[in-house]
Formats: sequence, structure tokens, C-alpha cells
Amino acid sequence: MREYLKTGITLMIITVIAALLLSVVYSIVREPIANAELGAKLKAIRDVLEDPSTRRPLVQDGKIPQTAVELATFEWSPEAIDFGEGKVYVSDDGRSKVESPAYKFVADDGRNIYIVIGSSVGYGGDVKTMAAFVVTESGPELNGIRVLEYSQETPGLGANIASIDIQNRFFPVATEGLNKGLKVNQDANVTPTGDEIALRREVDGIITVSDVMTGATITPRAVAFSINAMYQFLKKAGAN
Amino acid sequence: MSESKLKLLSNGLFKQNPAFIQVLGMCPTLATTTSAENGLGMGLATTAVLAMSNITISVVRKFIPDKIRIPSYIVIIASFVTMIDMLMHGFVYDLWKTLGLFIPLIVVNCIILGRAEAFASKNGVIDSLFDGLGMGLGFTGALVLLGSVREFLGNGSVFGVHLSEVKMFAMILPPGAFIALGMLAALFNYIGIRRSKTSKESK
Amino acid sequence: MTTRLVFIFLSAILVNNFVLSRFLGICPFLGVSKKVDTAVGMSIAVLFVMIMASIITWLLNILLVSLGLPFLTTIVFILIIATLVQFVEIVLKKTSPSLYEALGIFLPLITTNCAILGLALLNVQQNYSLLETIVNAAGAGLGFGLALILFSTIRERMDISDVPEPFKGTASALITAGLLSMAFMGFQGLVKL
Repeated sequence: MREYLKTGITLMIITVIAALLLSVVYSIVREPIANAELGAKLKAIRDVLEDPSTRRPLVQDGKIPQTAVELATFEWSPEAIDFGEGKVYVSDDGRSKVESPAYKFVADDGRNIYIVIGSSVGYGGDVKTMAAFVVTESGPELNGIRVLEYSQETPGLGANIASIDIQNRFFPVATEGLNKGLKVNQDANVTPTGDEIALRREVDGIITVSDVMTGATITPRAVAFSINAMYQFLKKAGAN
Repeated sequence: MSESKLKLLSNGLFKQNPAFIQVLGMCPTLATTTSAENGLGMGLATTAVLAMSNITISVVRKFIPDKIRIPSYIVIIASFVTMIDMLMHGFVYDLWKTLGLFIPLIVVNCIILGRAEAFASKNGVIDSLFDGLGMGLGFTGALVLLGSVREFLGNGSVFGVHLSEVKMFAMILPPGAFIALGMLAALFNYIGIRRSKTSKESK
Repeated sequence: MTTRLVFIFLSAILVNNFVLSRFLGICPFLGVSKKVDTAVGMSIAVLFVMIMASIITWLLNILLVSLGLPFLTTIVFILIIATLVQFVEIVLKKTSPSLYEALGIFLPLITTNCAILGLALLNVQQNYSLLETIVNAAGAGLGFGLALILFSTIRERMDISDVPEPFKGTASALITAGLLSMAFMGFQGLVKL
């Protein structure tokens, strides 16, 4: 009995020392971690606020947040639905989610821009995307996206969604296309080429990815679905 | 003194290379070698944990009762892995994101527990450090080699430097990993066989 | 809800097979697959440990997060797994000594089977509910077993055939695994949402 007690206590001491050391390291590393995560998010915001045709930011540099505190000032609390902290909006088909907070910016030309973060189930897990919608007379238009998380997708296949060139295939989309609902071209059974690609995307919401993501439909489909959910959310929340 | 330390290093790099000869640490070898850079990052993280855990275990080896040595080693190794994970999260965010799940999985990399059991628990601190470094660097070398092969054949680049237009897509995918590693292992074997043949003939 | 569970289950076994797609559990995959009987025994042991470990770690994770200690997950998880494996060893020694002997050193090595720790971490990472975790664990274990047993049948045959010298052993095993992995890639798109 004494033997067991001795070994048990020794093991416990080792574990406690380890836990204490880790707590110390954790408290030191906490801030850099928060900064790294924030940095990634701010970079994504900067990217989606870029006008795809002119490659220039829609919002002047001074107005783009640099710290968490600044970012918080852009949080948007819609009146039409409850979207407080930690709340999640689930799409009608249950497959996609939109997480709070959403952000509202004002472009240099006065138009409202909404930045929303949504996710949908991909190949091995959730694929999270940030999207910027600019409100025009006809309604919100998709200005830009950045895929934030895709760690469970297959390297070399679905994980290629990380490539900016591929993500660029998803935008811009006019209100007409958004109303029809985004889908990947494989699901629409068409294969647009050349100039058709942009046209079908803007007007019909068809995202052409079959040439660059062969055999990896699930991941871009998830991105398309999450954008649809975000658009649905914006309409319900009364974005204008 | 430096003679034997060098021997320890070269042991880990060639004669007892953990990936090619001992066939340990296969999971990260196949999973994180989609590019040379990823392989390098993973290898260095593992080497750091290996060195630190070897040192620690060597220091406390006389205080740990034999019965609980495996769980104790595991706690020590897991602590260092968590530390490396946190440090990478804070300071090399992009690499951390790419390596993802496989950073905490360094804990179950049989190389680390294997060296703790086979070497650090029986040898002094400095020797254990060199053994850890040797094995870790040998592992890193294997990862970088495999990563380079896969990246070159699959993407035409090495460390991001575009070299060729040949793109054998399958290399980046799981089957490519297995096959590439299998070919490299066969190559290593072949070199080993040739070497022992020539040394036999010269005798 | 049930469709999601079926999706998780099938995904873990076929589409995202833990060994052939996710590269988890390669060490035992290469080490225990020389004979079919040991492969079967190992698969059952792993399946059991996976399900038990997933449940316990899932519960503990809630505790750790509520205590504000998320960084202790790795340590706690691996200790749970090590304990469970010890437990399985003791039970196996009593109930089936022959299997215990056959598995030999590989039984305690289940602790270092990255598939189990990987599974536990994935369950937590993807915020699965308890039911989803159990289904995922069952799928992962079955997928592991499937890959392992299939592989062992091929290897038993290969042992008898004439393999060129440099390819003997690990090299041919790896290339075979690559072909098997390629075959499993055919399952992609099986589960359409």
C-alpha cells in the first residue's frame, strides 16, 4: 500500500509542477497569442474591404481598426434580430452559421459595408469565411471574402481554398446573383469559360471552381453556402 | 569529449535515423511534409521538445520511481509540447495554423518517448542533450527531404522557390506521401546494402 | 440530426479514414499489420480505447474550460489515454492471455497511437456534442480497423512473394499503403450534404 501511495504522490507532484510551469508560460504568452489572432482578423478585414476592380480600399486607411478596442467600435447591433455577444444565427437549412459580432463600416463614398463571419460544414469540419457586403441601391453586393479557417480540409485538395487566386473566384457578386443563391458550378451543371465566368457569377451566382479545384467540391461548396447564410442573415437583420 | 558528442549527433542523423531506419514518428512524417517549409517547421518543433525533454528526464532520472516512469515521462514531454504549442501560436501564427493538430501530436511521437526510455533515462545531461539534438535533426532532415520531394514533384517548387512546371498533383495528396516515403526508404536501404557489400568486398 | 451523425460516422470510416487520409495511427499500422490475427486484436483494443477515451476526455474538457485551464488539455488527455491502456492491458492479460502475448510491446504502444489523441483533440476542436463524439470515435475505430485488417491481408501475401532487396520490409509496405490510400480516395463525394 505504501508503495502505491509513494508512486501516486510522486506522479502527482510531477504533474502539479508541470501544470504550474505551464500556467506561468501561458500568462506570458497570452498576449502574443491574442495579438496574433487579432492580427490575422484585421488583415482579413483589410483584404475584404478592397474593391476588387480597382484594388484600392473602400475605406480610407485611417478608418481601418488597428487594435481590438478600435475594432469593437465597428461592431454592429442589428435592430431587427437579437445578435448579442456569443449569439449565433443559423441558416434556414441548418447547415450554416453566422457568428457574432458582425461589423459595419462606412465607405469613403458613403455606402454602408457589412462584414460578417459565417461558417458551413466542409469535408472534415467547419469552413469559416469572412465576407464584406456593400449596400447599393439594389441591395447588398458581395465585395470580397477571405476564408479564415479550413484546417480540417484535405491538404492538396480542399485545403487549396487557402489560395487567394481561388478565393478571388467567389467575388464580386451583384445583388441579383446573391438573390439567386451562390452555388459552385459543379452543382449548377455548367462549366463557364473565359468572360462567362464573371458574368455568370455576378448575375446567376454561379462560382466557377471546377478547373482549379478538381475533385474537391465540398470545400468551395461550404464557402458558397456560408456566404448565402450571411446574405440571408443580413436581409433578416435589416441591413441597408 | 567532443569526439563522442559528435558521434551522438551523427548517430541520430544517419546510422539510426529515426524516420528512415528506426521507422518512428511516421504520422507527422507523412502528414506535415506537403512542403519543405512545413517539414522544416515540424522538424524543428519536434527537435526542441526532444532536446528539452531529454535534458529534463536526464536531470530527474534518479528521482523517478521505476513503476511510474512512463507516465512521468509523458507528463514531462506533454508539458514541453504544450509550451511549444503556445509559443508557436503567439509568435509564428501562420506556421502554427498550417501544422495545426500535429503540434500537440508531438506528444505521441514515438521518437521522443523512445529516446527518453532508451537514452535519457540512463545517461548524463550533456550526452542526453546531444542525443536529443542528433535524433531531432535527423528527423528534421528526413522531413525536409520528404517535404522537398513532395513539393517539387507536386508543385514544382522547393521552399516556395518555383523550379519546374511539372506538377504531379498526387504527390501532395495522401497516397503521394506514402509512395514518396516508400521510395525514399527503399533508396536508403539500397545505399545501406551497397555500403555493406563494398565493405565486405574490401575485407 | 441523424443525417449529421451518419455523415460523421461514414466520414470517419471511409471518406476521411483516420489512417489513410488523416495520417493518424501510422506507427501501429505499419508495425502490427504483419499478421491478420494480431491486426484484428489490435483493432478491437483500439476501438475500445477510442470510444472510452473520447467520452472521458470530452467530459474533462468541459471541466478544464470552465476552470480556465484550456492549455492543460494535452497533458490531461494523454494521461487519461495512458491510464485506459493500462486498464485494457490488465483486462486482456486476464481474459485472453494469448492475444496479450501476441500483441506484445504494441499493447502499451496504443498510448502513443496518435489516432487516439488526435481523435480526442479533434472532437474538442470541432465542438462535437457527446453523441457526435461517440459516433466519431466509433467511426474512427472502425476505420482504423478496416485499414489495418485490409493492409495485413495484403502484407501476409507479400511476405511470401519475391520482393526486390531494397524494397523489403518498410518500403514495400509504404508503397502498398499508398495504393490503398489512393483506393480510399474514391470514397470522396460519397456523403453529399
